[in-house]
Amino acid sequence: MSPKRDMSPKRQETSKILTSKILAVVVWLAVMVVAGIQFYQHRNFKEPVVLGPGVTQVKTLGDYFPEIKGTVNDCNIYILDSGQPGGTFFVVGGTHPEEPGASLSALHLVENARVTQGRLIVAIHANRSASTVTRPGEAYPQFYHIPTEWGVRKFRMGDRWSNPLDSWPDPEVYVHYPSRQMLAYMDVRNLNRTWPGRPGGLITEKTCYALIQLMKQEKVDAFIDLHEAELEYSVISTIVAHQTAAPVAAMASMTLTAEEFPIGMEFSPASLHGLSHREVGDAIGVPTFELEAPEPFLDRVRGATGEYLLLTGKDEFVMKAGEHGLLYEKIDENGWPIDVRVGRHNSTILKIAEVWSQVNPDRAVVIENVPRYAEVKEKGVGYYLLNPAEAPKDRVVYE
Amino acid sequence: MFIHAGIILGVMVVVFVAATLLKVSIELSMLIAAVAGAIAHGVAFPARHVVEGAFTYFDVTLIFITATLFMNLLKEAGGVSYIVRAIISRFYRNRVVLLLLLTFILLVPGALTGAGSVTVLIVGAMVGNVLTYMGISKDRVAAIVFLCAAMSAAAPPINLWAMMTAAGSNMPYVGFTLPLAVITILGALFAMFYLGWKGTPISVERALAELPEPPKGMNGFKVAAPFVIFLGLVLAGRVFPFAMPVIGLPLAFLISAGVTVLLSPKRLPIFKISCETVENLLPLIGTLTVVGILVQSMALTGARGLISLSVVTMPILVIFATLFLVLPISEGVLQYGAAPLLGVPLIFLFNMKGLDPIIALAGMATIWPLGDALPPTTLVGRAAVMTVGYDGPYYQGFLKRCIVPALFIAALGTVYVVFSNALSFLVAG
Repeated sequence: MSPKRDMSPKRQETSKILTSKILAVVVWLAVMVVAGIQFYQHRNFKEPVVLGPGVTQVKTLGDYFPEIKGTVNDCNIYILDSGQPGGTFFVVGGTHPEEPGASLSALHLVENARVTQGRLIVAIHANRSASTVTRPGEAYPQFYHIPTEWGVRKFRMGDRWSNPLDSWPDPEVYVHYPSRQMLAYMDVRNLNRTWPGRPGGLITEKTCYALIQLMKQEKVDAFIDLHEAELEYSVISTIVAHQTAAPVAAMASMTLTAEEFPIGMEFSPASLHGLSHREVGDAIGVPTFELEAPEPFLDRVRGATGEYLLLTGKDEFVMKAGEHGLLYEKIDENGWPIDVRVGRHNSTILKIAEVWSQVNPDRAVVIENVPRYAEVKEKGVGYYLLNPAEAPKDRVVYE
Repeated sequence: MFIHAGIILGVMVVVFVAATLLKVSIELSMLIAAVAGAIAHGVAFPARHVVEGAFTYFDVTLIFITATLFMNLLKEAGGVSYIVRAIISRFYRNRVVLLLLLTFILLVPGALTGAGSVTVLIVGAMVGNVLTYMGISKDRVAAIVFLCAAMSAAAPPINLWAMMTAAGSNMPYVGFTLPLAVITILGALFAMFYLGWKGTPISVERALAELPEPPKGMNGFKVAAPFVIFLGLVLAGRVFPFAMPVIGLPLAFLISAGVTVLLSPKRLPIFKISCETVENLLPLIGTLTVVGILVQSMALTGARGLISLSVVTMPILVIFATLFLVLPISEGVLQYGAAPLLGVPLIFLFNMKGLDPIIALAGMATIWPLGDALPPTTLVGRAAVMTVGYDGPYYQGFLKRCIVPALFIAALGTVYVVFSNALSFLVAG
C-alpha cells in the first residue's frame, strides 16, 4: 500500500490543502520577485542628461532649502546664464511625470538652448519622487523610448502623485496651506496642489516650498509650469495664467494661434488653491504660466495602455468619444504624437519669452537654438536629443 | 482596436464564467480572468501588472481591516451587548424609539468599515434577537438586518464604492458625508419601519435573560471613549492640519482599538481576535486585491476602455432608467469590482452632462450594496440569513421580503442621480 492510502480522509484533505497553500505561496513569491526586480529597476533608473551649450551651472533643489538635500526630490536645477543683464525665467517639467511631453520639453531646453540675454533656469523632474512610480490600476508602461539619430534614449514613466514609498500615509482629508481649502487626501502628494508649500509639511509640500525658495533666491521674474491633459478635461491646449501673467499670456496665445497652432488662454481661478498658476503669483508675486498640451493616453476611455499610445497619442476609442461630443479637444487618426506635444510646449515657452521681453525690455530673456513646433513635428523629439556616450563626462549628469 | 479589446473582454468573460462553473471562488475566478486577459493581449508573464494592480486598493484594505478589528474588540469587550441591553431596558415600551436606536446600532459598524458583512458579523445576531423578541418574523428580521447592513456599508464616512470610483476618476472623496448620510439613513429607516413596525410588545425579561451579559465594569464611558478618540483624531487633522502629524485612518482606527483594549473590563485575547478578524475578512480583502488586478489588466488590454466607451455613449435616459437594475446586478457578479468598472465611466459621463458628480455618485454608491444579496455571490444576504437563524427559502422568503424597501432605496438613489444638481446643496466637507 502506498503511504497516501494509509492516510485517513481527514489527513488526506489536510495534506491537499497544505500542498495548495505551498503552491500558492511559491507562485506568489515568484510573481513578487519578478515584479520586485522590475519595480527596483524603475525606481533606480538613471536618466542621463547632456548639458547643452547654454548650461553654465547645475545645482540641486536642496541648495535652496537644505531639508530637501539628499532626499528623493533633490532634483537637478539647470542654470543657463547669458552673462548679460536681463530677467530670469524658471521652467519646470515633471510636475506630473505621467505627462512626458513636459519633461521632454524641459530636456530640449537643457540640451539645446542658448540664452543671449538674462537667465533661464530649468528643472526636468520637479517631482522626482512621482517619477519613480507608476499608478496602480492604470497599467502604465514603466519606461518609454525616444528614437534619435544615433540610437534610442530611454526615459522613466511616472505618476501624477509622489511615490507612497516617500510619502505615506495620506491624511483623511488634505487641508491646503495656507488657504485651509479641503482637497482630496491623495493630493497632498500632488506637486500641483501643494503650492506654495510649507517647510514642515510632507515631502511634496516641502518640494514646493523649496521651489519657492529657489524663485526668491534666484530672483525669478516669470515661472512656467509644463503639463499635459486628457481630452476629457476642459483645461486643455491652453495657457493658464495668474493675473500678473495674463497680458503676456494673452498676447502669446494670440500670436501662436495666428502663426503656429491654436492655443487658448485662461485666467487662473482665484478660488482654486494649491495650483502653481494661483499660488506662486499670490505668494511671491512671480507671474506664472501653466501650459497644457493634449495627451490622449490620460483619457479614461482610452484603448490598450502602452508606450505606443503614450508616444503616438493615437486611439480609436478616444476618437469615438470625440464623435459623441465628449471631448474638449479635437482628435483624428493622426492622434497627438509626442513630437507635436513637445513642439507646442517649446514654441509656447519661446513665445512667452519673446512677448515678455518686448513688454519688459529691462528684464528681457532671450532664448535661442530651441526647436519650435514645426521643426519638432517634422524631425521628431529625438532629433534634438544629444548622445550621452559622445558627450564629455563632465557634461553628463543624471536624473 | 475595437475587435482586439472585444476579443480580450470575451476571453476574460469566458474564463471567469468557466472558473466559477468549476466551483473556483469568485476572487480566484477574477484573478484567473485578469491573467488570461493579459496573456491574450500578448504579455506572457504579467507579474508586474498583477502586483501593481494588487496594490490599487491597498489603503482601502488597511482601513477596512483596522476598522473591523476595532469593532471586533469592542464587541469582545462587551461594548455592543452593553449598548443593546441598555437600549432595551430603557426603551422597551416605545417601539418607535427602539426601532430608531436599533437602526442606529446596525448602521455604525458598516459606516466605519465600509462593509455590510461587518455589520452582520458584529451586531447582526444581537439586533436580530431583539427584533425577534419584538414579534417580527424571521424572514423579516433577516431582511431588516441585510438591508440595514447594506445601508451601513453605504453610510459615511467609509463608502468603498464611492471611494473606489472617486479614486478612478481623479475626484476627491470629499463632500460625500451629508449626501450619503441622508440617503442611507432614509433607506435604513424605511427598511426598519416597513418590515418591523408590525409585531408584538417586547418581552423585556426574556430579552435581557437571553442577550449576552456584558462583563462587570462596562459602562457608557468605556463604550463611547474609543469613538470619541477616533472622532477627535479625525477632527484634529482638519482643525489643526499644520500642527497635527499625519497618521492616516488605519492608525486612527488602531489607536481607537488600543483604547478599547485598555478600557476593557476583561482581558482581551488580542492576537486571537486579530487572527479571527483577518480570517473573516479574507474573502473581502481578496476581492479588493483581485479587483485591482482585474482593473489593471483591463486597462492594459483596452477592455476597460471598451466598457467605459460603451457606457458613456449610451443615451442618458436609458442609463437613468436602468441604474436600479444594472448596479445591484453588477455588484452581485463583481462585488466591489463593479465600482471602478462601471462607476468611473458613469461619473465621467454625468460630469460631462453637467450633473453634480458627488451627489450622483452618492446615489449610485447607495444602490450598489443592494446587490450583495443577489447571485452568484449573495455574500451579505447569506450571512444575514445565517446570522439571524432564518431557515426558510432564500429567494422566495428572504429576498422577496427585501423587494419593497430595496425598490425604495433604489428609487432614492436614482433620484439622487437624476436630480443631482437640485440636491447639490447637500455637498459639504
